[in-house]
Amino acid sequence: MSSNSPEMLLSPQMLAQLERLELVSRKIFRGRMKGERRSRRKGQSVEFADYRNYVPGDDLRFLDWNLYARLDKFFLKLFLEEEDLHFYSLVDCSASMSFGEPTKLFYAKQLAAALGYIGLVRADRVKIEPLGSELARQSPVLRGRASLWRLLQYVNSFPANANLSLEQSLKSFCLRNTGKGIVVLITDLMDKNGYDQALRYLIAQDLDIYLIHVLSPVEIEPDLAGDLRLIDSEDSDVAEISVSQRLIDRYRATLATFIESAREFCSRRGIVYMMTSTDRPVDRLVSRYLRQRGLVK
Amino acid sequence: MSFLNALGGWGWAAIAAVPPLIVLLYFLKLRRRPVQVPSTYLWKKALEDMHVNSLWQRLRNNLLMFLQILTVIIIGLACLRPGCEGVALEGNRFIFLVDKSASMSATDVEQGTRLDEAKRQIETMIKRMKPEDSAMLIAFSNQAEVIQSYTKSKSLLQQKLKAIEPTQRSTNIEEALVAASGLANPGRTLTEDGYQQLATGKEATLMIYSDGGFPNVDNFSMGNLKPEYHAIGSFDVPVNVGITAFSINDDPNVSEKREAFAQLRNASTTDQTVDLTLYVEDVLFDAQKSIRIPAGRTSGVSFPLTGLFESLAKATSIRLEIDTKDALAQDNTAFAVVNPPRKARLLIVTPGNDYFRLAVETDSIQRMAAIEFQNRDYLKNPEYGRKSALGEYDLVIYDQCQPETMPNCNTMFVGNSPPGADWKLGEKQYPTPIVDYLRTHPLLNSLQLTSLLILEGRKIEGPSGTVSLLDSTYGSIMAIGPRGGFQDLVMSFGMSELTESGEVQVNTDWPSKLSFPLFIQNVVVGLGGGARFLSGENVVPGQMARLRPPPVVTKVSVTAPTKQVTEVARDKNNNILYSQTESSGVYVVDPREFSTPESPERQLFAVNLFDQRETDIAVREALDIGFEQITAKTDVLPAVSEYWKWIVGLALLVLMLEWYIYNRRVLI
Repeated sequence: MSSNSPEMLLSPQMLAQLERLELVSRKIFRGRMKGERRSRRKGQSVEFADYRNYVPGDDLRFLDWNLYARLDKFFLKLFLEEEDLHFYSLVDCSASMSFGEPTKLFYAKQLAAALGYIGLVRADRVKIEPLGSELARQSPVLRGRASLWRLLQYVNSFPANANLSLEQSLKSFCLRNTGKGIVVLITDLMDKNGYDQALRYLIAQDLDIYLIHVLSPVEIEPDLAGDLRLIDSEDSDVAEISVSQRLIDRYRATLATFIESAREFCSRRGIVYMMTSTDRPVDRLVSRYLRQRGLVK
Repeated sequence: MSFLNALGGWGWAAIAAVPPLIVLLYFLKLRRRPVQVPSTYLWKKALEDMHVNSLWQRLRNNLLMFLQILTVIIIGLACLRPGCEGVALEGNRFIFLVDKSASMSATDVEQGTRLDEAKRQIETMIKRMKPEDSAMLIAFSNQAEVIQSYTKSKSLLQQKLKAIEPTQRSTNIEEALVAASGLANPGRTLTEDGYQQLATGKEATLMIYSDGGFPNVDNFSMGNLKPEYHAIGSFDVPVNVGITAFSINDDPNVSEKREAFAQLRNASTTDQTVDLTLYVEDVLFDAQKSIRIPAGRTSGVSFPLTGLFESLAKATSIRLEIDTKDALAQDNTAFAVVNPPRKARLLIVTPGNDYFRLAVETDSIQRMAAIEFQNRDYLKNPEYGRKSALGEYDLVIYDQCQPETMPNCNTMFVGNSPPGADWKLGEKQYPTPIVDYLRTHPLLNSLQLTSLLILEGRKIEGPSGTVSLLDSTYGSIMAIGPRGGFQDLVMSFGMSELTESGEVQVNTDWPSKLSFPLFIQNVVVGLGGGARFLSGENVVPGQMARLRPPPVVTKVSVTAPTKQVTEVARDKNNNILYSQTESSGVYVVDPREFSTPESPERQLFAVNLFDQRETDIAVREALDIGFEQITAKTDVLPAVSEYWKWIVGLALLVLMLEWYIYNRRVLI
């Protein structure tokens, strides 16, 4: 099984583990189709919600005949509507994601596939998009357990050379998708134009946003020595450094500030932020950390 | 601090070029290794904080480069060979002559003894030697010892120098000079073409570290040696009073004259007053207070020993001490010994010759010897055979008779010769005028023999080593010759001759002269070992001591004052010689092996230096060796102590630090 085959993304054990989980939204959204989630809307389901007075034209099937017998008045039984959930997973496919061992992109794909599978199992509407890639426009909306194979195949085909900025990619996403739901943005946030404007587009959509910040261990603890010319993988920008302990310390401080500022930006805007390293296994991330953050239960 | 430049102009140019080269390399290194990273975003931010874009900023942070430059600078410094102020020695070959005689134990220097000071000065000299110099080390007292032959190893020289110990000997530099000049002045040999130099002489600097307390050397030419005299000790004459003689007057005839006599020398320039204490067997016996000795003079002191010898049963040591402290301690103590008298055992085999009987009846001989008279028949007695074979006699006198075999003792033959072919007597000759006699021989000591009348005599030829004592016109008529460890005295003329008619005819008038009993007494003392109180001759430290235990003893053990015990056996010449007389004091001689049940008593002998030259510890300002006068050098130039090794070590350390930093990227 080669590393880029779809089967590599999720192992059978992981699938079994994921089946028990469920995506949770902090907000209740209107779905498009009937699903397994209670909606704000009243509708047809087995779960009783309320009574209201009968008005002519109501469906006589929902009249509570027992009440009519006792009170001689018509009351209509209202039931909770069960709807599906819109789940979006956005994978940053910029060139910077193709670093690390395993690459951040692979890690992001694994994570997106895992969350997507949870959604599929619970009959949610799952859509996974590669950010900044042309492929994004053709992303299918998947539903049902049977779509797993399509999902894996699609996710696996994400290229690692997207050249659009985060801001442009998210803007494009928001224009194309107006539905409410959960969006999980998996990115390394390494965008020279900054991430705040990009995130504002998502916030404006009133989505339940989760930001998973993926970094590789070599970014957290750089393993560099000597006098180097660092070449940016995205824009070929060059930074000349002489590695010294002072510089390494300064880099660490900068990274810490960067993470902290991202966390603060997100928490102020109701975005759940989570930083993870690629050496943290995806199943543990999902079953432990994302559970703590309330994305799954 | 001084510098010895170790590099030439080009060398310095090369070293000076290295630091700019390192800086240049660091600039060249700006062609950095390209590394692709996910994003330079964070790095740029980090760099902005550090402002490292400025070139100097970059260099300033480059600790590695500075360490490398520092290493080069340190190596350059090492090439300058910095050192302490000091003067390197001139010349390439040095000979250090260290005086280790008794006077070098004087304490008139800043620290320790003169020898310590000399060793300190030589050590400085060794340090001042250039690496290519070689030196040799000779220590001398009355004899010279090459402690270390020519070597370039300073550590070896220093090690050997440390091992030099002071001695209690006198001083004689001649042997040391000869040893020193061995290489500098090689000998010449006479060939058909005249004198030929065996080898070319090598110049050497001869450094004499001494106080100059030795006699001038006349017959020595320095040749290729350049002498330097480093006087050790203070030129202000230090206070020293020493004992230069100490003896026991043991005349047995005049018992009231028995006394211990000491000679004291004041070697200082002022009159000195000293207290003396006499110990017998380490017990205080007598003392004299406040004896005044004029400056530079010698005076005698005597202690009466009346009543001491009469009760003397065993060998006794006597010690005289000057209680007053001075610069040289060694000459403040003198030792003497008194060994109890032992009677010589004498056998006289005579056909009834009264002359001997009369001669040995003097008081002094009676005191010295136990005398046994026997007639000729006794020679056939088995008892005689046993006693003579076991050496129970010290001396046997055969008057006109001859034993079958020679006894194990000294013998004297009168009118006959020992058996065997060693001795030959010629035909009887008449008359026998005395031509000459050996006055200096102990047996003929203080005898007047020229007026002696002898009728008949025979010419004597003895074995090799025979000394003729009395010569007649036709040859020797009395001679003494060796036989193993013993001595045989042979007189070819008898005192009286039996005529054909059986009458006793007088052959010489010697028995009627005063010289005869004196001669017999000399024989008893000299050959029989007939003893007086044996105060013994004084042995000088380092001198061979000849021990005289009874003839039966074949092996003795000698206990030195240092408590060291040595066993000494008789050598093939029947002598017992003891050579380890390095320290002064009383040596105890114990017979180890007894041939007879009569065990001889232990004996003592004393070792003293008694050298006025060693007592006169004033330092000489100039030495006279051959035709040269060498004036003393007293300035001690400091040694050059070079630090380049340490500096190179430091450079290595810095290099290691640089390597560590490079590898560990600790705090650049």
